[in-house]
Amino acid sequence: MSIEVKGVSKRFGDFVALDDVNVSIPSGQLTALLGPSGGGKSTLLRIIAGLESADAGSIVIEGVESTNLPAQKRNVGFVFQHYAAFKHMSVAKNVAFGLEIRKRPKADVARRVEELLELVHLSQFAHRLPAQLSGGQRQRMALARALAVEPTVLLLDEPFGALDAKVRKELRDWLRRLHDEVHVTTVFVTHDQEEALEVSDEIVVINEGRVEQIGTPDQLYDEPANEFVMGFLGEVTVLDNVRLRPHDIEVMVAPGDPLSTPGTVKRLLRVGFEVRITVATAQGDVTVLLTRTNVRQLGLEVGQQVWLAPAAGAHTAPVPVAG
Amino acid sequence: MADTSVADRPVRIAPVPRTQRRRWRPKSPATYLIRLVVVVYLVLLVAWPVALVATNTFDGGLDSVREVLEDPDVMTALRLTALVAVCSVVINTVFGVGMSLLLVRYQFPGKRALSALIDLPLSVSPIVVGVSLVLVYGGRDGWFGPALESAGFQVIFATPGIVMATAFVALPLVIREVVPVLEEIGTEQEQAARSLGASSVQTFWRITLPAIKWAVVYGVVLSMARSLGEFGAVKVVSGNVLGETRTATLVVEEKYLNFDQQGAYAVAFLLAMVSVACIVIVAIIRPKEEKR
Repeated sequence: MSIEVKGVSKRFGDFVALDDVNVSIPSGQLTALLGPSGGGKSTLLRIIAGLESADAGSIVIEGVESTNLPAQKRNVGFVFQHYAAFKHMSVAKNVAFGLEIRKRPKADVARRVEELLELVHLSQFAHRLPAQLSGGQRQRMALARALAVEPTVLLLDEPFGALDAKVRKELRDWLRRLHDEVHVTTVFVTHDQEEALEVSDEIVVINEGRVEQIGTPDQLYDEPANEFVMGFLGEVTVLDNVRLRPHDIEVMVAPGDPLSTPGTVKRLLRVGFEVRITVATAQGDVTVLLTRTNVRQLGLEVGQQVWLAPAAGAHTAPVPVAG
Repeated sequence: MADTSVADRPVRIAPVPRTQRRRWRPKSPATYLIRLVVVVYLVLLVAWPVALVATNTFDGGLDSVREVLEDPDVMTALRLTALVAVCSVVINTVFGVGMSLLLVRYQFPGKRALSALIDLPLSVSPIVVGVSLVLVYGGRDGWFGPALESAGFQVIFATPGIVMATAFVALPLVIREVVPVLEEIGTEQEQAARSLGASSVQTFWRITLPAIKWAVVYGVVLSMARSLGEFGAVKVVSGNVLGETRTATLVVEEKYLNFDQQGAYAVAFLLAMVSVACIVIVAIIRPKEEKR
């Protein structure tokens, strides 16, 4: 295990950011810390990096007891949401910073910087200042800078949070490919479940300072440990006292299955290729997600009578008893 | 097709004179009046009096300046002023940057009180500063002075006292320039440097100091100008001994009171020139730096 977090707690005044957190992060993998804002995931990352100190508990990085080690001795690469570019230095100087601090020979530094800039596709911008780069380019520079010191672990704090949707998606794919090339143990914080599901090998779901579940993206999506994880990873609706995903509901326009629930189409909302359908049933409204093609095939219209049933192989969970 | 393009044309042309008219509109009589008021105000209050010092200095050609520069007592005073200004600027820069870091980067009880206290030298009359320093360090009946004096270290009526008084009045200038910049740059760059292996000293020299460089330069220039021109506090603590503890501003007063107005203007002119030179040099260096 590459990073061992044991019994870590952290308070900011009255606010409990982390409450007895235990996590093992495996070597060489891309792990996401996923959770809502203010849930403590960034705090955990900063404690692993040594930028914040834990009130209790211990951190072991690659077998080295690091709980009381200052940030500069942990050999971790840290990438900030807002890049934290050294504004008065050129791109090449930014990347070289960690190596110059380590007093590596000039020729080695130059060679390594060149390699890294090539890796992040910024070779032609080596002499620019960070202010002359776009957000995505700045974040790639920050990544190269963090990788330059050959860190034991690479930590990314909402790395794509400040970028627009398109660039975010590009960088996400690029990070995955980069990780497949470099193989450094990587932990990144995100509140975007799609990002976590798409990029990571393993996801740690953190909420209100506690770990809710740890598992692969498939495990989390298909077998959520609890209501929170199920709700956070994707939309949830209730059909016939069972919780399930809106796209796991089959819609029929004629009664056939005796187990199906009858209802009336209340609303059709088209979002791109998807159509969100609200169906009024005896137990309340149910949300169903179909593709536009499905809706056309069925010829659904508002006011129409339909029958709903969980699709074969759908993950379902009982509705927790209220109160 | 031809019809629509003809119909389009006047529409396209029409906005041009309108925008031109809008561009000219601000130069209405009111604008000229406001400009005139500002110019008259600055001329009457600043430019004219300062210019008169210069013209009066050169009334009899370069003679008055030459005369002043040949006077050994004046030269001693100028040297003392330079020494005092440099000492107090160095003290205030080191202390000011350290204090700014303390105020911005650390949380501690009494921080607001300290922040308010730092502005005290600006709000208190310099003469009060002088008197209070005498009360503490005065050689005969100061609180701390006799002990120092018996150890062979004279503060009041000597150079250390003048440096202290000057440093006191110029104390907030560096801090007030640096604090807002430190707040603006935030701590992320410093944290990034630490995570890349830099020690706190390396982080300060390589990251923090370059980021606040211009604030420090401005603070230094302001402190320098303030230190060169300090009069009230220095007058109390220096004792005004000719050729020993008399600074340039005290020479100006002395000459003026002794009806040597020509000499007073000449020394005043030299003092003003140094301050103007500081500001001009900074103004020349800065845009180049930004362009790069």
